[in-house]
Amino acid sequence: MRGLMVFFSSIMNLVLVLLIAPLFDGVTRKVTAVVQSRKGPPVTQSYMDLMKLLIKEDIEVGDSPVMQRFSALLSFAAILSVALLIPMGTSAPLSGWADSILLIYLLTLAGISVLLAGLAAGSTYSLVGMSREMMAMMTLEPLMAIAIIVSAVHADSLRLDAILGGGVYTGSGILWSRILILGVTAFALQAFVGRMPFDVTEAETEIMEGPLVEYSGPKLALFKYARMAKMFLYTGLFIALFVPRIETGYYLADLAVFLAEQAVLVLIVTVIAATHARYRIDQVVRYYVVLFIVALLALLLAVIGS
Amino acid sequence: MGSQEILNKIRERYGASITRADIPANNRLLVFVHPDSVKLLAKYLFRDLDARYCVGIGMDDRPYSGDFLVIHDFAFDKENVLLSLIIPVPASDPKIPCVSDGIPAANWSEREMRDLVGITAEGCPNPKRLVLPDGWPEGLHPLRKDVPWNQVPEGFDDTKTYPFDDPPPGTTVVPFGPFHPTLDEPSHFRLYVEGEFVRGCEYRGFMVHRGIEKLADSVMTYNEIPMLAERICGICGCVHSVTYAQAIEQAAAIKPTPRAEFIRTIMLEIERLHSHPLWVGLAAHILGFDTLFMQSFRIREPIMWLAEKITGNRKTYALCVIGGVRWDISPDLKAEIRQVLDKLEKEWKGVLDAVKGDRNVMARSKGIGVADKKLVKEFSLLGPVARAAGVDIDVRRNHPYAAYDKVEFDVITQEGGDVWSRIVVRVLEVFESIKIIRQCLEKMPEGPIRAEPAAELPAGRFGTSSVEAPRGEAHHFAVTGEENRPRRWRVRAPTYQNLQGIPAMIKDQRLADMTISLGSIDPCFSCTDRMEIVDLRTGKIRVWSQEDLLRSTTKIRRRRS
Amino acid sequence: MYLLSKLRETILSLKAGRVTLTYPVDPRPVPERFRGRPVFQPERCIGCAGCANNCPAREILIADPCQEMRVVMYLGRRCTYCGRCADLCPENAIVMSQEYENASPKITDIRQSLEIWMGTCQRCGRCFKDAGPLDQLMMKGYRFDDLGAELWVYKSRAYLDREPVVKDIDIELD
Repeated sequence: MRGLMVFFSSIMNLVLVLLIAPLFDGVTRKVTAVVQSRKGPPVTQSYMDLMKLLIKEDIEVGDSPVMQRFSALLSFAAILSVALLIPMGTSAPLSGWADSILLIYLLTLAGISVLLAGLAAGSTYSLVGMSREMMAMMTLEPLMAIAIIVSAVHADSLRLDAILGGGVYTGSGILWSRILILGVTAFALQAFVGRMPFDVTEAETEIMEGPLVEYSGPKLALFKYARMAKMFLYTGLFIALFVPRIETGYYLADLAVFLAEQAVLVLIVTVIAATHARYRIDQVVRYYVVLFIVALLALLLAVIGS
Repeated sequence: MGSQEILNKIRERYGASITRADIPANNRLLVFVHPDSVKLLAKYLFRDLDARYCVGIGMDDRPYSGDFLVIHDFAFDKENVLLSLIIPVPASDPKIPCVSDGIPAANWSEREMRDLVGITAEGCPNPKRLVLPDGWPEGLHPLRKDVPWNQVPEGFDDTKTYPFDDPPPGTTVVPFGPFHPTLDEPSHFRLYVEGEFVRGCEYRGFMVHRGIEKLADSVMTYNEIPMLAERICGICGCVHSVTYAQAIEQAAAIKPTPRAEFIRTIMLEIERLHSHPLWVGLAAHILGFDTLFMQSFRIREPIMWLAEKITGNRKTYALCVIGGVRWDISPDLKAEIRQVLDKLEKEWKGVLDAVKGDRNVMARSKGIGVADKKLVKEFSLLGPVARAAGVDIDVRRNHPYAAYDKVEFDVITQEGGDVWSRIVVRVLEVFESIKIIRQCLEKMPEGPIRAEPAAELPAGRFGTSSVEAPRGEAHHFAVTGEENRPRRWRVRAPTYQNLQGIPAMIKDQRLADMTISLGSIDPCFSCTDRMEIVDLRTGKIRVWSQEDLLRSTTKIRRRRS
Repeated sequence: MYLLSKLRETILSLKAGRVTLTYPVDPRPVPERFRGRPVFQPERCIGCAGCANNCPAREILIADPCQEMRVVMYLGRRCTYCGRCADLCPENAIVMSQEYENASPKITDIRQSLEIWMGTCQRCGRCFKDAGPLDQLMMKGYRFDDLGAELWVYKSRAYLDREPVVKDIDIELD
């Protein structure tokens, strides 16, 4: 029975991610267009883009096509696995079987798959993009890890449902560490989802799309889908970690609230993205390093009990 | 100081070398010298008299005088004089001492002379091909009079590639172009990169060379060339057609009617009004700031509609004929121009207020692509690039043409010489242009818009003209000729000079800043590569050194309008 | 300052509204002076060939298949839409229309061909005068389809030949 529940819950999560992520992307594009005084594509455009890419011929160029295929699939698979660990409306489907270490691992894996993509392609621009992504990842990924660990310290457990159920708010007092870590993650959210001003590695007019320059057709569709899902999942993770949960008990109502909160976050991310120029990699890394130091401070505070 | 004083000064030092001197007008000077004294005289002009180097021209004058001619054009900005140093080179031995070791700005001109006319500059540093494709057979120089304009060369070698220099030790090669999303037109920069930093670069361009100068001196006639000239560039078409018309008018001593001069001024400023917001948008796009890109283009669109109302086309105005212009501005149009200008001014002010405090954009553009005063002097950099470095040159004020001597405006300069300064200069120049157009609309006299020149223009006269394009000084040199067409027409677009300064501007900068540095000179490659017809098919199978480039199949040349 | 700048930029954008035009779904008219495709009116043409002489792109070609007939052909491929032909025509037979949607895979859509009947002058042998209907009837030996492509061709080979360079585009040349 429980297994069946988990199964259905997993399917539900996956369906949600797969269906709603392109919708959020479409909303992003539409809002960007409004800010830019133009009509913009219809909100369903991202679905059509993905479908168009999927039906294209899969051209294999690059140094090692096998690795390229693997990295595309890995990216998509890692992201979908993360979807099973995020609570959307109810608790996460695999919360009994996975803990937050797995979450951190899978998130990092999703990032590594882009590095693999760049390496496997082997062209000059993809290697340059890959080196940038590596620099960015090394300073950025730990931030999410520290956020989760701070929650773990406060909740005294590594279990997913303890941490992602607003675990960061357990305990009493001024909660300096919580405020600090909330601030850090909020300032870094733009970077996690890879949007302006931090999309140094992705859509890059400077280095021709960076790691993804040799990808087209279905492989590109997988990467694009993974990117859209990342937006969904990181905002979902942010909500799960920091936004106090409103339990109505009805699944659909909870889900609606969750999606609404996500939509608000997506809007904020979009407006910031539309009004900023892209930062250079060294400026970006400096920014992340500052956030990292603050996060470490928050961790320290959490450990000493504040 | 006019031409006579400058001639006197030169006579003091080098009187013996001058074989002949002509003063066709108070702001023009033609000095004929012997090849042996070119080097010293050129250096004297460039260093001691502080002239600016405009362009070097090679000309095949063998059917008329029996020699080749090399002409070096200099500009004396403070004295309002354009000087042409004319050197006959014997046909049997087309060699001339090079000037580019003393004047770095002359480098490309000398390479082009060798490629297209076959005049070798002895001692030229970097004697590689500039214009002709790599497989082009040796000894066939397209601009010579005995080579037909539609000749397909025999012995074209597809497999030959450009001999690039070796990269400096410790660096890798990153190819930039000819296909790159940021570049609108193909050009190849071979960057030598160490980690994230660019240590050097080599440029190979002229991939969209079209044979305009050859067409002008073999096929077209005087009044047809403006149609060709305005297609040299996708943005500054009016500039080239006006400069050409002025060069011929100066050579044949024709004065355009006063009303025509004002109309030319108005259209030139309208062109600047649509070019600078376009550039601001492009720079923003390169930085990833797409919102400013969209807004600039939205604000600029009414100017395009206005140009369409006045001339019949958004960009190719088909405006000039020798002696005047073809389109008149009626009082209704005047009122409409004023309306559009008011709206533009208001919106552009909004953009200025928004952008001038924007630290996000500043962080990406301050200290990038620096061209200091020394570089500006060495390579004769022009336009906003020079003005952003604090060098106060503007052809509209220094060598007034059309109606610019009758209007008042400021020349915007900034200190800093980096991309941010160039952004500020271009944003502020929009307001000056609006000021100029308003004054022109008030001061424009009534009268005919075309003068009727004689049916035959006198042949063999030299004419030069400089006009301030949005990117800098566009300089044309023309020699009138027989059969209703010029004997030689040389177009020097501002990007021709500015590109030569790029290797120094991007040295020791990050790779990420390469694009914005290149974009900040507002490169117009179609202006730069304007010569030589090659058969379509042979042009297509040219092979580039990078294997990947072979796989790309389409060359996209986007018309900016 | 920084936040204020961004705010100003956003307000600028939102104030402008959405400016996307619905072209090509809706037609977009052009101003009166717009120089679109030149339209040649055969009934007004006197065959002076002024337009051909002054076309910068050499896209108006003249051929005289016989004494009584002059063919003026506007090829239109490299037409720059400059309007010199319209300016020069002494009979106002050329009008710069407002059509700008001129792309077509068939050259015959763009090409305009005028056959002008010339009457002969008894003194000099040639004159710009319409032949009367009787003269036209009495003309022998002229076959419309026998114009001969050699009359049009330059010696240049710098044009597309019959083999399409890109295989999937069908450009009809005749």
